[in-house]
Amino acid sequence: MYLMQQLRKLNALQHLQPTVRQLSTAGLKTSTLQYEKDPQPQFTDAETQNLLQSMTQLQLDKVFRKRTVADNSTQTQFMTTAQLEKEFLLTIEKAKTLLQMPPIVKIKEDTERIISRDPALKDFASTKYVFTDISFGLAQSQRKVVVRDVDGTLAYASLDITKRMNQLYFPLDGRKFYTPRMFSDEQLFQRCLEAHNYEYILDRLTVQYEPYELEFHNISAKVFEHLNESKQFDLLRSTRHFGPMAFFYAWHRCIDDLLYDMIRRDYLLNAVQLIALSYKLHQVPVDYQQTLQKLDALQPSPADKALEQLRSGLRNPQEKDIQDEIQTAIGKSEADFQADEISLQFIEQYIGSEHALKKVQLELAVQTLKEVNLEKLQLYQGLKKAHGVQTA
Amino acid sequence: MLPLARGIYSNLAQITRNGRVAIHTASVLRCKAENEATAGNEEEKTEASAAPDGKDRTKVIPVETSMRYLKSEAYKTTYGNDFVWTQYRRNHKGMFAPRKTRKQCIRQGKISTGNPCPICRDEYLVLDYRNTELLQQFISPYSGQVLSYSKTGLCQKSHLRLTVAVEQARDCGLLTYDVPFREYDYDEYYGKKEEQQQ
Repeated sequence: MYLMQQLRKLNALQHLQPTVRQLSTAGLKTSTLQYEKDPQPQFTDAETQNLLQSMTQLQLDKVFRKRTVADNSTQTQFMTTAQLEKEFLLTIEKAKTLLQMPPIVKIKEDTERIISRDPALKDFASTKYVFTDISFGLAQSQRKVVVRDVDGTLAYASLDITKRMNQLYFPLDGRKFYTPRMFSDEQLFQRCLEAHNYEYILDRLTVQYEPYELEFHNISAKVFEHLNESKQFDLLRSTRHFGPMAFFYAWHRCIDDLLYDMIRRDYLLNAVQLIALSYKLHQVPVDYQQTLQKLDALQPSPADKALEQLRSGLRNPQEKDIQDEIQTAIGKSEADFQADEISLQFIEQYIGSEHALKKVQLELAVQTLKEVNLEKLQLYQGLKKAHGVQTA
Repeated sequence: MLPLARGIYSNLAQITRNGRVAIHTASVLRCKAENEATAGNEEEKTEASAAPDGKDRTKVIPVETSMRYLKSEAYKTTYGNDFVWTQYRRNHKGMFAPRKTRKQCIRQGKISTGNPCPICRDEYLVLDYRNTELLQQFISPYSGQVLSYSKTGLCQKSHLRLTVAVEQARDCGLLTYDVPFREYDYDEYYGKKEEQQQ
């Protein structure tokens, strides 16, 4: 009952100016950071997408974590090795679809498009009539929704009405007709943020709003800003929201906290990619492509890494080489040490430039990492010598 | 008998008298604390608050109290580490329980049954969307759905209130759940590839 009243109230308010309506439905204050120009061409660029996907990483445990959904049954099957190999490839493909990034596009403006004015039809009814094309198989944006107003004008429906009609005839799983109170009440939203339920908020946001809506931009910006302060970036790593988050920071020149987190967790390749992304977005004349190419040659892509992890279960434990054992014990291979050296050089160059804001913090992190790496390298070489492994 | 010991004894006797109805130990603990504080003028007090009806449910307990209760020592001694419904057993004749639980345990502000459901038997368990700790006990960790009354033994009225509270809590974002995955068709947002190239 209460809900219906709310809906009725909203409907009544729609006749007022659009600005008033937005305040009442959105409820949340607008965020300070907005995309001031269309971010889409930069975001959809193949190079950017590559960088973002690589930064997201692919941790199979996290992507395929057990979800609490109505049907989460599993299937057990006997397979030959060849079949299993095929299944591994399919798994990686599935993981990639689960990590599909929500699009970043500019906010769509609502324009009035009148088809015809028929004053003869004035007062044909006391309410508006909405006509929706519900033929099967049309995309949401292709679906025509028109409104016959009381004064006889026939016009294309506003975005708001179009969305509601789409939801009425072709409901999207998980979307509500009304704004969830989590998104309309400032206090509840803050509470969600403080509980660090970032992934949950963003998941719900993707379902509830379309990427071109004002609320989508507003809420995601707020979540990213809060995340930048609480520095819990690891919560979003290997989810579909990590890419948009990194893009947001790079666009608004506040990558330093994320960079610090990446260095601390020893994801140096990702750190280099983040810096490269920010150089690319702001057209800083630094040649990053060479470094990236070198690093790509040395280190496998996240998908390859995940595939390798899947295959490692198949390998016979007796077959294991002593060199592999040393590598797993230390967690790094020779190529990794080389890659670290190149990336550290690149990161230090960034810290030295005027683009870095938190120089002291970053320098300290780099210094500690260097010391740890040096110890690891010495241990690695020592172990190799002790086991008499020949370097190729 | 010492006044202190007598006070405790009378409380215990009262609990055994109403044992099937008032399950929580909150009042016992509170009485104990009171006794220790005012051991002197004990006698009038026990008489004044003598034997409050354990079946009376007219008193409205605020949610905040309930939330505090769930974190308290009294709750721990009553339920231990179990959920509030784990130890509950339904009474029925024959081998099989009726498919539905009883309609309600409380009629006209009083407990009208000898074996009230886990929520109704403890008046300090309040079903409300803010009381997430309690609601969490009734949600399956596997499917994320509200557990059936055949498992928890809630009466139909409490079960309805539970489902409403869970839905409200989810709406407010106080309870998290796994949101259905939405796959984007990029063409819809970026335009078709041929158009982009032109």
